[in-house]
Amino acid sequence: MNHESLSYRIFKVGNASLLILIVVAMVFPYLNVLAYALNDPMDSQFGGLTFYPRELSFANFEMLLTNSAIIQSTLISVLRVVIGTAFALLIQYTCAYAFTLKGLQGKGIILIFLMIPMYFGGGLIPVYLLYSKMHLLNNFLVYILPVSFSLYNMVIIRSFLYTIPDSLAESARIDGANEFVIMLRIYVPLSMPILAVMALWTAVYHWNDWTTTLYFITDQKLNTLQYILMQILKEGERMASMFQEAIRAGITSGANTQPQVTPQAIRAANIILTTIPIVIVYPFLQKHFVKGITLGAVKE
Amino acid sequence: MHKEIIYNQSAKPTGSRFMRALRKNSFGYMLMLPSIVLTFVFAYVPMPGIIAAFKDYNIFLGLWNSPWVGLEHVREIFETPMLRQAIFNTLELSLLTILVGFPAPIILALMINEIKDGLFKRSVQTLSYLPHFLSWIAVVGLAYSFFDLYGPLNDLLLKLSGGEGERIMFLSKQELFLPFLLLLSVWKEVGWGTVVYLAAITSIDPSLYEAAKIDGANRWKQHLYITLPGLKMTTILLLIFTLGTLFNSNFELVYGMQNAFISYDVISTIVYSSGIQQGNYSMAAAVGFLQGLVALLLTVGANTISKKTTGISIW
Repeated sequence: MNHESLSYRIFKVGNASLLILIVVAMVFPYLNVLAYALNDPMDSQFGGLTFYPRELSFANFEMLLTNSAIIQSTLISVLRVVIGTAFALLIQYTCAYAFTLKGLQGKGIILIFLMIPMYFGGGLIPVYLLYSKMHLLNNFLVYILPVSFSLYNMVIIRSFLYTIPDSLAESARIDGANEFVIMLRIYVPLSMPILAVMALWTAVYHWNDWTTTLYFITDQKLNTLQYILMQILKEGERMASMFQEAIRAGITSGANTQPQVTPQAIRAANIILTTIPIVIVYPFLQKHFVKGITLGAVKE
Repeated sequence: MHKEIIYNQSAKPTGSRFMRALRKNSFGYMLMLPSIVLTFVFAYVPMPGIIAAFKDYNIFLGLWNSPWVGLEHVREIFETPMLRQAIFNTLELSLLTILVGFPAPIILALMINEIKDGLFKRSVQTLSYLPHFLSWIAVVGLAYSFFDLYGPLNDLLLKLSGGEGERIMFLSKQELFLPFLLLLSVWKEVGWGTVVYLAAITSIDPSLYEAAKIDGANRWKQHLYITLPGLKMTTILLLIFTLGTLFNSNFELVYGMQNAFISYDVISTIVYSSGIQQGNYSMAAAVGFLQGLVALLLTVGANTISKKTTGISIW
């Protein structure tokens, strides 16, 4: 189009520049923290780092990755993501599948029953009192069970299942396959795209959540990586105990030639450690996330 | 359990047609059962616990045997200055977050929509979605680093002032706390917020734009009369949902950003600190109960108004 007006061309350039600025604002804080995490901690003290390390050093990660609390909480975080995601998918998929079955009485009432808690709940305290009665406080299951059913996800899976033609299941039924086999052998393989999206959403939720630990867990063995990050940011004791352990292990000490580590540098390395799994897989996953949300928005 | 179904299904049909239908459906009910049980246990069972708000909860007596005090705790809420302040802060923060955070993704979506499809557009989208996938505490951590005494912002300001200026402890300034909360909310969610709007823009019939072009409408007019009306439905639906959360201040953000120099609380931070940390269960339950009630009323109210004026409803 060569008949674009001058003002429109100016607008286009301005628009693109503004978008570049916005993207820089989105990415720079992260790159800066990455630079601090990979920079020599003694050198970092003077500030002035932008988006690349001035003196490359792995001292921060060396201290983090040998810390017992970090190792333990990483293990808990991974277990939580794997078990929590698998269990939630099982619950949500079977429920969504049942909703697509023809001739099932009372579907409407069951849907309303499942929907009401979306709009009204008792709040944190009744939940806390219930968990304490159910012995879910300081119990790994508190990470898995309460969040396993999600109406929103169930509805999205259901919308997807409606797009699969009945004819496949019908012919299998004529061949004498039972309902369970039909679900497992015909519908589940065809549902992989939506299951992938839901698995990603759920896994990211489980990896990122830290308030469950804050509210219901006091046993240090059950801390998650995100919770440790919160402690490092907000509580001096966590940082102090990490330094003590590092000194005992001989990784860092003020006296010898080992590189010293500073709280700021440890903080930066910890932010990277807790976010890196997401950042690494993110470019591959981004499309799927978008697919899920648009599917939900269009269908409902 | 599965064996049983297989047995039932493969058994020769016996009994009345009704029994057969029920047996066939039992598979469906069994699939739903875990969801129903989990929802019942974790969403419905806690509901009666709300009565803790109207009792003087005592751990040793338990919920049912604790003495009733009626609306004592609710009255207390409005008489305690700290709680009144927290309610005010919650409302103020939510309103400002909506005011800034709600139009932001619409504007960004319109801006992204103006670029031609290609690598640049995809990169802008991909990178602007990224913060959404970081946890709130990681975002708080990024803020701690970015606004640190020796962080990049202070470096920049120092450079601009020619090395004359003082380094500033941004996050310890009471007057900057609220702006920081708003900044971080928008920073984290603005990119992701565009997804829904961009999808809505793509679903607008292209022939509308063609017709407008023939009628001599410039791009600005096309957006004003086609794009924005095309986004109406999406916008109103999202607004209803957002209004329902007016009283649910972002606990993770506020709690994460609180520090020794800041005196700022919202309802959810009070519920946590006075309820779970200090064990004032009744008081915290009363605050939480009011919060839930208001949220429900707001959602219903916003939905009713929308239904009457625009015909759009979430139900």
